[in-house]
This record gives sequence, structure tokens and C-alpha cells, in this order.
Amino acid sequence: MKSRAVTPATADLFAAAADGATAGAAAEASAQRRPAFAAPPPLAAAARSRSKHLWYAAVFAPLTEAQPSAAALQRLCVHAQQFTSLVSMEMPNALLLEINGSVRLFGSLERLHACIDAAWARLKLCAHSAIAPSTLAALWFARSAQCVLIEDPGSLASALAQLPLTCTGWDAERLKILRAMGVTRVGELLRLPRAGLARRFGPAAMLDLDIALGRQAAPRRVFVRRERFRERCDFEAQIDTVAYLLKALEPLVARCARFLRERQAGVQALELRLRHRARPGTRLRLGLASITGEQRRLTDVLVHQLSRLELAAPALSMELVSGPLQPLSAASLEVFAPLRVAGGGDSAPQLVERLRARLGEEAVYGLCSIPEHRPEAAWQRVRELSLEPTRRRIPAQSRMHELPEHGMPRPVWLLDVPVLLAAPPVQPPQPAGLILEQGPERIESGWWDGRDVARDYYIARRTGGARLWVFQERQSKGWYLHGVFA
Amino acid sequence: MADARVWKLKDAAAGLRPPPRPVWSTGRSALDARLPGGGWPTASLVEVLLGAAGLGEIQLFLPALTQCQRRADGEVPWLVWIAPPHEPFAPALAQQGIELARLLVVRPASATEALWAAEQTLSSGVCAAVLLWLKGTDDRWLRRLKLAAQAGGALGVLFRPEQHRFESSPAALRLLLTAGDEEPHLELLKVQGGRPGPVECAL
Repeated sequence: MKSRAVTPATADLFAAAADGATAGAAAEASAQRRPAFAAPPPLAAAARSRSKHLWYAAVFAPLTEAQPSAAALQRLCVHAQQFTSLVSMEMPNALLLEINGSVRLFGSLERLHACIDAAWARLKLCAHSAIAPSTLAALWFARSAQCVLIEDPGSLASALAQLPLTCTGWDAERLKILRAMGVTRVGELLRLPRAGLARRFGPAAMLDLDIALGRQAAPRRVFVRRERFRERCDFEAQIDTVAYLLKALEPLVARCARFLRERQAGVQALELRLRHRARPGTRLRLGLASITGEQRRLTDVLVHQLSRLELAAPALSMELVSGPLQPLSAASLEVFAPLRVAGGGDSAPQLVERLRARLGEEAVYGLCSIPEHRPEAAWQRVRELSLEPTRRRIPAQSRMHELPEHGMPRPVWLLDVPVLLAAPPVQPPQPAGLILEQGPERIESGWWDGRDVARDYYIARRTGGARLWVFQERQSKGWYLHGVFA
Repeated sequence: MADARVWKLKDAAAGLRPPPRPVWSTGRSALDARLPGGGWPTASLVEVLLGAAGLGEIQLFLPALTQCQRRADGEVPWLVWIAPPHEPFAPALAQQGIELARLLVVRPASATEALWAAEQTLSSGVCAAVLLWLKGTDDRWLRRLKLAAQAGGALGVLFRPEQHRFESSPAALRLLLTAGDEEPHLELLKVQGGRPGPVECAL
């Protein structure tokens, strides 16, 4: 008894959910309410469930010229997602919906078809639609403005035969050749020998035909709505001190963190926009060292950035916008991280982004060594730091042997630009005040990129103790200081 | 309560010495012998006063830097160099055995920001050693750095010009490195738990 009382209510709920978005059709739906779940599925539905996919194609009359069609199509995709989760864009002006999964929810295929068409009509869009078991067939029918509803893959070939070839969307050159051959309809093309066609038009055309006839699977990219966190907070009074801004920011960051947590996602960039009266707004861009959704880290970075900010004018409102959401990886969750040593409690990404937030993006970097003979080109700054905890895999001893064997040790400090030393004309040639201890090591390289060097490097000791890395340019015979052993 | 910083009274009654802090060898036996514990102390601040750059001041600490990266079980800790006077030459550091992927160079715009960065990195607990170059700083900031080093268990090394040698400093260890007649000259100005004086060792 109880189950009976529940079933119609559930059916109502689903009908309401289905029509909720299509509010205009709600009255019609309640008028012809069908107990979709109470009744056993009719035979037709059982047969339909065997055919794997059913594609609904909608081809729109040229979308308005003012807006780019991609953006308009994306909005239509979002709209179409009320009918099925599998919505795919077909540039420039068509959508493909996989609707087999939604038929039971809407009662019947005809009603679903009508519901989707009604949705376009309510948007005042002129659209041609068709339903077929393959993507291209549905698309071709819709393009040739034939409103058909084909469920059986077996009858596709005969139904497609009448379509003009122009609906395939093939390039004009190919269509011209086909017209010259006297082929203007799909049926006439299908009658031609396959091997000859493949030789003449290439495998791409054959693939199109196979997909249209349902002989070949054609996976499509499903439209996924891009999400961002975006929230504005208008102040009751103008705020002119950063401390108050920070206070106002707290709930905003908390909501952003919740938004991210609900989606199991993180961000790597945030933007804070401040609006002023009669002044262009202030934009603060924040980068995070790794993807995160933690409130503490987001607050940390925002606080450090804001503390560097000097408000040009009182702020009227602020808006927090997140960068694109990115899935959290297991490494960025800190549940299984080992307990840290006394004090602290920071992780390396947190530390780096706190430093970058206050000192600037450029001020914090790593170094890497490049196998190059020229000292200037043998190292590089690294901005993308690998911050995940690494374990030493190779014992340090064996790594030492892997390093390129230099004849001479290299100095710890390298000067940005070699400094010219005053060299008195003495024999043997030697810079003033220096004793050459080791050398020469000839470095002659780089003729291919215009920064070629030809130098003899020496290790020299300055009277008093400092050890220097000097070189004599081979052409000019001038002495330069290039590094300091510290 | 197995914390090296806590020394329990009952241990004292039992005649136990406080557990020694880990130290990193300086790579020079003459210097190791003069330092309490036999090497550079961890979780404290070392101050080096330099007569000039290039007297082998990095060589003093390189063995310790490579050791602490190598000896740590599991995760390789970070080394941070803040406001170095020149660009650290990556091939040389790799040659000496430093893990370059775990080296961070920070170039702050001002001395205050450098001190702030040093405090943050020292107390973070992910850095094994922080090397900081400064022209001059006040006593209060040095005390903060020392506390940060103790909290994070890191070795903090502060390089300053020689002219600050007569200022008071909370550092546990103060060294003076000056150019000698032939070899650079190293002198311990202050050693907590040791004896100050010149050290004869090749740099």
C-alpha cells in the first residue's frame, strides 16, 4: 500500500523536474500526466533500449551576427543540458544531444522531441531538428530541414538515400566533382563501388558515410560547463583602510573555499577586483604555488597581497573571481603527509606562495644546471618549482659521478657581466695583484648562436686570500673577472 | 615529551646530560674541535662577519649543506639563500653535491623584506638551512631570527660586513673571516659553550 502511495508522487516529482526548466510546458504536462514509472515499459521502449544511442540534432538558422557563434552555442549547450547530460557542439551552428537515456524520464520519445523543440521556440530561435540512431544521420536530416524520427538503425540507409549531398557539409570541391559525376543524393553515392570512392575521395569521406549509417562508432566530445567562483560584496559604507577590506574579505574567501570543496576542486589563480567611485577599478591578481582549495592558504595569500596594497581611493565594492577550477590531486591533500618537525607546520608550496605573495613572483626562484661549456649559458632560473615532497632515489655518491667531470672547480658566485681587470704589460702575461694558481682551461664555444666565446680560464688568488675565477680573452688578450670562489 | 629543547629535571637527578642537538660537521677537523658538539649547531643562528666577499665563506658551510640534504631520512629538505651578493652558479653547486631541485633563491627588494623572508623560511620547518646576506640589521630582528630558527629546527647563517663586529648579537656563534697576509683568517668571536679565539684551518 505504502509503495503505491509513493510511486505516483515520485512520478510527479520527476515530471516536475523535467518540466521545471521548461516552465511554459508545465500546464500541458500536468494535463496529460502519465504514470511513467507505474506502468510497465511498452514494447517499443524495450526495443529502443536495445539500440544503443539515439541522437537529437538541432541545426539553427544562422545565429545573430553580432555575437560569435561559439559563445552563443555554448550558452545553448547549457540550455540543452536540461534534457540530457550528453550535449555536444557541432560548429558552426548545430547541437547534438544523446537522448536515449532521457526518454523514460519524459514519457515518450515524441514528447521529448516536442519538449526540446519547444525550448528553442521559446528562445525565439529558428531550428530544424531530427532524431536518428547515428550522429551524422541526425545532423544531415536536420541540415536538410527534414523533421524525421528514426529509431531503427536498419532503416537508416533507405531514409538517408533521399537526402541531397549538400547536407553532408563536405567541401565545395568534393561536391563539385560528385555533381560532375551526376551524383547529387546520398543514395546515389551509396550505390557507387566503395573501393573506387575510397580511392577518389580518401578515407575521410568513407568514414563519414560509415558513421552516418551507424556502422562506425563516432565518439563525441561532451560539452562541460566551465565553472568559476565569482561573488561580489557591496559595502554599506566606503572602505578606505586595508584592514577593513581584509575583514570584509573573510566571508567571501570562506564561501569560495566551500564552493571549491563541494566540487572537489582547487584553483591556482584568484583575482580580487575593487570598485571605486569615479576611478578605474583596482585588480589584484594572485597566483598560488600549487592547486589548492584550502581556506587557510587562500586567506594567507590574499592577506599578504593586500598588505602590500595602497588604496588609491575608497572602495565601494569588491569581487572575488577564481581562475579555472582544476581537479585536486592526491598529492595536494595533506592527510597522509608525515608529521613535521617541531614548530612550523607549513608545507613547501605554502611557504613559496607566501614568499611570492609578499615579495613578488620574480623574487623567488630555483636554479638548474645546463650541460653547456659557456659559464653564462650553463645555468638557468627556474620559476616552476617542483614543490611536491621528493625522496632521494639515487644515493648521493653515485650522483656525484654522473656530473660532468670538469677539469677545474667552478666558482660559487658568477658575475652577471665579466669585469675587465687592469693588466700591466708584463711577461709572463698576468693580471695585476693576482697570482694564477691553476689553469688554463680553454672554453671555446657558441659560434652557432652569435654569442661565441674563446677564453682561457684560470683560478687566481688575490693578495689577502680571495680566490677568483678569471679569464683572458684570446683575441683581445684582455683579462676579465668572471667568478668568485667563496 | 621527546623534544630536544625540553630538559627534564628527573634526567638531571639521574645524572643524564641533555640530549645533544644534531650538528653538521664543518668538514675541517680543526674547526670542528673548537665548536661545541663538534660542528655547526642546528636550530640556531650563526653569524659570519666578512672582511670581503670570496674568502671561502660558502666553503665553510657547503659540507653541512650537502650533509643535511643527504642525511635527512625520506624527504629532501630545502635550502634557501636570501639576498646573495651575486648569482649562485648552479654547476658549481651541483659539483659540490647540492640538490639543486631543493634550492630556493630569494631576492627581496629591501632589508626588512629579507629579514621577513628569513624568519618565514627558518620557522617553516621545511628548510634545513637558510643563508642570509645583509648589510646591517638591528638586535631585535636578530633575536626574532634566532627564535624562528629554534622553532623550525633549521640552521640560520647570517653574513654581515666586518664593521658590525662590535655590535651585540644574540647569535649562538659569531665568526670573523678576514683577508690575511696569504690565507684568509678565521676567528671565533663568540661561542656559546666554547672558547673564542682564532682558528688555524685551511679554507
